[in-house]
Amino acid sequence: MYSFSHRYGALSFIALIIMLLPLDTFAHGVDENTRAFLQQNTGIQIIPFLYIGAKHMVTGYDHLLFLIGVLFFLYKSRDVFLYVSLFTLGHSLTLLLGVIGDIQVNAYLIDAIIGLSVVYKGFDNLGGFKQTLGFTPNPKAAVLIFGLFHGFGLATKLQEFQLPSDGLIANLIAFNLGVELGQFSSLAFILLLINFWRKHSSFNRFAISTNCLLMSAGFMLVGFQLTAYFIR
Amino acid sequence: MQHTNIQTITCTHKKLLKYTFISFVFAVLALITVILPAEYNIDPTGVGNKLGLTVFNNAKASAINATSSNRAKNATETIEVVVPAGKGVEYKFTMEQYQKLTYQWTTNGTALYFDLHGEPEGDTTGYFESYAIATSNEMKGSFTTPFAGSHGWYWKNTSAFPVKVQLVINGEYIEHALK
Repeated sequence: MYSFSHRYGALSFIALIIMLLPLDTFAHGVDENTRAFLQQNTGIQIIPFLYIGAKHMVTGYDHLLFLIGVLFFLYKSRDVFLYVSLFTLGHSLTLLLGVIGDIQVNAYLIDAIIGLSVVYKGFDNLGGFKQTLGFTPNPKAAVLIFGLFHGFGLATKLQEFQLPSDGLIANLIAFNLGVELGQFSSLAFILLLINFWRKHSSFNRFAISTNCLLMSAGFMLVGFQLTAYFIR
Repeated sequence: MQHTNIQTITCTHKKLLKYTFISFVFAVLALITVILPAEYNIDPTGVGNKLGLTVFNNAKASAINATSSNRAKNATETIEVVVPAGKGVEYKFTMEQYQKLTYQWTTNGTALYFDLHGEPEGDTTGYFESYAIATSNEMKGSFTTPFAGSHGWYWKNTSAFPVKVQLVINGEYIEHALK
């Protein structure tokens, strides 16, 4: 068991490094290239869209922070699987619907809500809802609903480029699969770290400060996006 | 359906308030001192400026200035070149790859042998590519540079008198000079 998770962790770590490597080296260039590609592409381009989807997830710290919050107190693999599936279901639905149905939502407001989802999960982990409301809102429903918002966030990123309708559905599905691939590799990494940390007593000692930091990062995302909403 | 009971942290009401408050204050502090100055040039406290975080916006502003000064160069320019009797001169434009220059030149009547050509940037072998070679007293046209380097005319005056060339240009280039 140890060697399996060990190998799995090492593999996902390598996958993550490979995905990050070109970004770190040519951060500006890749973005510009991606932009140029998205604006000029025609027809079905499975692999590039897979890559863009995966890259968006791996480098999307808002999605990752939310996942860290969700996974923080999940240690049964059944629970991990269930919650991640709900999140995937939620964001895939709105990603596909948003782009295909051409639903226009303000990207900054959506990103602010995504920031709020991080605050929510941090507060939830601190037992905040039990304390203030007397009960914890169904965490599965929360993950699904926030998943829907995360999906809209992904959709707005693609809609920015006014993708040609030629091959749109296939490209969109490739992007969505890429998002799941990226999520999978990030999850592997996050789970590895959290599960390793959970075995140490410092996990409980730092549980409060970690979730406070999570909340704080969420607040920062909200402020950052709302400012953009008001000045742009 | 079995309800999964997820462990959370249990803390008192007072502590919860304190944690939430600290998280919020920390976020606000980071936003107004670091994130907003760096991202949007909004710096209410001046701390961002003191930390040197508003440089990104300064860089953006100077980049915009640089492009607008390039645009100013796009105005039509008239250049006069005198080719001495029995001599040849070169007038060249330093240009990037794929920049376009529209030109028109006339002499005071005397026909000159000319070679419109380009030399790649940094080339030391003396290689050049000719775009047009002829003998004429005027020419009108445009070219788009196939490579970065120095592009322009070689005029040769075979007559016994100096010839003045009036060159009118409009396009993109970095600089131009008599070579």
